[in-house]
Amino acid sequence: VIHTRRFDWTLAVAVVAIAVLGMLNLYSATWTSRPQLYSQQLSWMAIGLVGFAAAAALDYRHLERLAYPLYALGVASLVLVLIVGRTANGSRRWLEAGGQSVQPSEFMKLFLILALARFLHSWPVAEGRALRHLLIPFAMVALPVALVLRQPDLGTSLILVLIFATIVLLTRLRPGAVLSLALVAGLAAPLTWTHLLKDYQRQRIMTFVQPASDPAGSGWHARQALTAVGAGQLGGRGFLHGTQTQLHFLPERWTDFPFAVWAEEWGFVGSAALLGLYLFLILWAVRLASEARERFGAILCAGVAALLFWHAFINIGMVTGVLPVVGVTLPLLSYGGSSVLTVLVGLGLLMSVSLRRYQV
Amino acid sequence: VVGASRGETPEIRRRFRVMAFLASAGFALLLGRLWQLQILQGTQHLARAHDNLLTEIPISSVRGQILDARGRLVADNRPSYDVYVTPRFFSDETLERLGRILALPHEQLEQMRRRIDGTEGLARYRPKRLLRDIDRDQLARIETARLELAGVRLEWTPQRVYPMKSVGAHLVGYLNEIGPGELQARRDEGYAPGDLIGRAGVEWLFEASLRGHDGRERIVTDARGVRRATEELRELGLTHLLAGGREEARAGHNVTLTIDFDLQRAAERAIGRYRTGAAVAIETDTGRILAMASRPGFDPNLFTGHVSPEQQAQLEQDPRRPLIDRTVREDYFPGSIFKALTALAALRDHLIDVDEKLECKGRHELGGHTFRCAHAHGWVNLEQALARSCNVYFYQLAERVGMDRLADISREFGLGAPTGLGLNGEVGGFVTTKDWYHQNWKGGFRLGFTLNAAIGQGNTKMTVLQAALLYATIANGGRLFVPQIVRRVQAADGRVLQEFTPQLRRTVGVAPEHMAWITRALAGVVEDPRGTAYGVKAADGIRVAGKTGTAQVRPPKRGAEDASHAWFVALAPAEAPRISVAVLIEHGGQGSKVAAPVAIDIVNAYFRSPEVRMAAAPEAP
Repeated sequence: VIHTRRFDWTLAVAVVAIAVLGMLNLYSATWTSRPQLYSQQLSWMAIGLVGFAAAAALDYRHLERLAYPLYALGVASLVLVLIVGRTANGSRRWLEAGGQSVQPSEFMKLFLILALARFLHSWPVAEGRALRHLLIPFAMVALPVALVLRQPDLGTSLILVLIFATIVLLTRLRPGAVLSLALVAGLAAPLTWTHLLKDYQRQRIMTFVQPASDPAGSGWHARQALTAVGAGQLGGRGFLHGTQTQLHFLPERWTDFPFAVWAEEWGFVGSAALLGLYLFLILWAVRLASEARERFGAILCAGVAALLFWHAFINIGMVTGVLPVVGVTLPLLSYGGSSVLTVLVGLGLLMSVSLRRYQV
Repeated sequence: VVGASRGETPEIRRRFRVMAFLASAGFALLLGRLWQLQILQGTQHLARAHDNLLTEIPISSVRGQILDARGRLVADNRPSYDVYVTPRFFSDETLERLGRILALPHEQLEQMRRRIDGTEGLARYRPKRLLRDIDRDQLARIETARLELAGVRLEWTPQRVYPMKSVGAHLVGYLNEIGPGELQARRDEGYAPGDLIGRAGVEWLFEASLRGHDGRERIVTDARGVRRATEELRELGLTHLLAGGREEARAGHNVTLTIDFDLQRAAERAIGRYRTGAAVAIETDTGRILAMASRPGFDPNLFTGHVSPEQQAQLEQDPRRPLIDRTVREDYFPGSIFKALTALAALRDHLIDVDEKLECKGRHELGGHTFRCAHAHGWVNLEQALARSCNVYFYQLAERVGMDRLADISREFGLGAPTGLGLNGEVGGFVTTKDWYHQNWKGGFRLGFTLNAAIGQGNTKMTVLQAALLYATIANGGRLFVPQIVRRVQAADGRVLQEFTPQLRRTVGVAPEHMAWITRALAGVVEDPRGTAYGVKAADGIRVAGKTGTAQVRPPKRGAEDASHAWFVALAPAEAPRISVAVLIEHGGQGSKVAAPVAIDIVNAYFRSPEVRMAAAPEAP
């Protein structure tokens, strides 16, 4: 029984607020060149809100049983992507069905969170987890990461790994396991650089380290984003008045760089407000995690918090030039149906936990 | 279920606090970065954003006009329409349509297609010039089909035109594109690649006045380099960025020549009877040039902007060298027109009495050499010797005058140095001296050289301009002017910026009565029944004084009949000359038969002009 008096208005308002700002920003980013994207995003937002409501209404504890089948479905769809997926910009990421295309790697993020939550919930280790207790979670993340890297999609792989790391670090680990994890991470980094990354990905990271090495290519994009953000100054240049955005100097305005659009037109004040909204949502999710009635719900909320945090942090970090340009979307501000749906369903799961935390 | 994990859950909860802290710290980091970018460096970033979108484009200035002495256009500008396409927005289909509309040949269309297809990347957004200077008909057809021609744009630039065509080509000059070296050297003057620059004549000499000053305009372009309309900028609140961003182009100054193109045309028609030659008409009292013609000429319209390589080669390889200005760039042996100077040198130092007669037997012996004359003139005085061009008389005079005095009087009258006109690579001619012979001839100087020099057959040379100026100086009583070709410079609004008044170079050191005597004596050349140009008559009873010259030179090719350069210098009216006309026909033969009629034609044209008639009227009987 859900107590409507305890409906989580705070969460709902925060979600709607970000979604509204996202639509506003998308309008500014697209109205001069691709106005049709706005209405498409609007319909995805509508579908996403239905997803949000459905996830909120569903008792998340039923998902514990469904976690592994969903995970398997996710992996299967990733395999399918590699076989029959649609390629765009040199990357095979989409499955097409009935004129619509979906990006299974987005949904995989939620499936991974559910699977990890179920595993950690079902196999408690009171005295702390040793490395061997982590072998299955390792496998859980390694399989989709390997598949996503084959597309290739560096950003999504990174997010999957970071969600996994965040969740694992929340559990009680034995010192040996922590040491081993650090060791694995230390060993994986150079191997990733030499074996997993494609040339253009290495190039992007090199450009970040030495911006002068590629003045016309990705370095140019990153610089235009910085200019857009900086030009916003304190109060912004005004809605629809950002020249970097409106005269198209800013690249990837609706996918990777919507934050630059926002920062240019709304300034430091607007940027701080948006950061505040995201942080609020993340902290709220963390709070729900700590108030969840059992570990499955806690880890679920922590996972969604991690998803939101890493997306927002990496995206804004790359727009403001503190991180290299890797394709990571900004939740609810970036254009894209799969991303919107994933984020809103994830937030719906938070709501589901929230609604049931005081249940007797 | 809950109980089973009791051991771990509190710890997880503790870690949630760490997680919340770390997330806050991460966002604090981002906020700090935003502070740095937007607050601390905001101004620089805003400036960079403005740099992105502001572009300065030049506004081309219109070059000044060149007008003749009566205000007729000699060099003007007309709009030339060029067709530009932006490859990014231009399709093969549009190219086909353009080709159909303009009836372009298939090969040209293919060539265009290759050029457009060869453009890649950002360059595809930059307009490319496909055709230049299309005609009115083509312009109209493109305008009509404008809406079906996506990516096609018409741009106009001022194109120099010379309405007089080849008339006065050398003195007016022409323009062509500035070269890379010049561009480097003249960068401070504001020249840009592709600019046209005066190459010859007044176009070259008055480049600084004619050129004008390009303006500039600040415009807003988007990331594709596409110009955005002002209304759009108002929408974006950017109009303030454009304030003060426009500097109007300043048109070049107009230059009015001293040349009367009626006279110029007459002069060119007159020398046009011969293969190569030159004629100069100077106003004796001012040094103003009224006509200066060099044959063959060329059409400066062919050059300006875009001479085809074939035309260029044809002009450069023409054995008659049409680009050479024969009035100033070439010097010639003067032949007998030099005799006036020999006479003046003798008169100045009282070495001869005008009534003293010397005998001509048709030959003169000196040092085992025979110096010849055209006829045996018998006993002749100076006036007769000038009229009949008796060499023997002048040989004897030369023995009295000597080389030093000949050199001195030559220099006095401006020979051996450029006149100061400064046009078309003017040369100064050459004045021989004893020293020169000592240095350049085996056996050094001999008196014989003086004899030849005295009749203009030595090594002294002068330009046609110098010849006209020399006789003008004699006729005006000794005022050697710097010849002028430009009367005034005016701003485009008509304001006079510079008025060129006659500029005296010096007053020659010869008594005016001696020069007046020579001028009178020169009337005998046409009036003395035995004068070399007897029977040559100007129209309307205008008396002409003059001097013939037939300068013997090596024939240009074996077997040529008479290789001599034909000279005639006319002064008219003889009693008070207002005009000095020098004519030279290269390898024309006898000065009297060939050059004199040309000079008379020019004199007649001069006196036909209404202004001259008007000015002459009070003196008419």
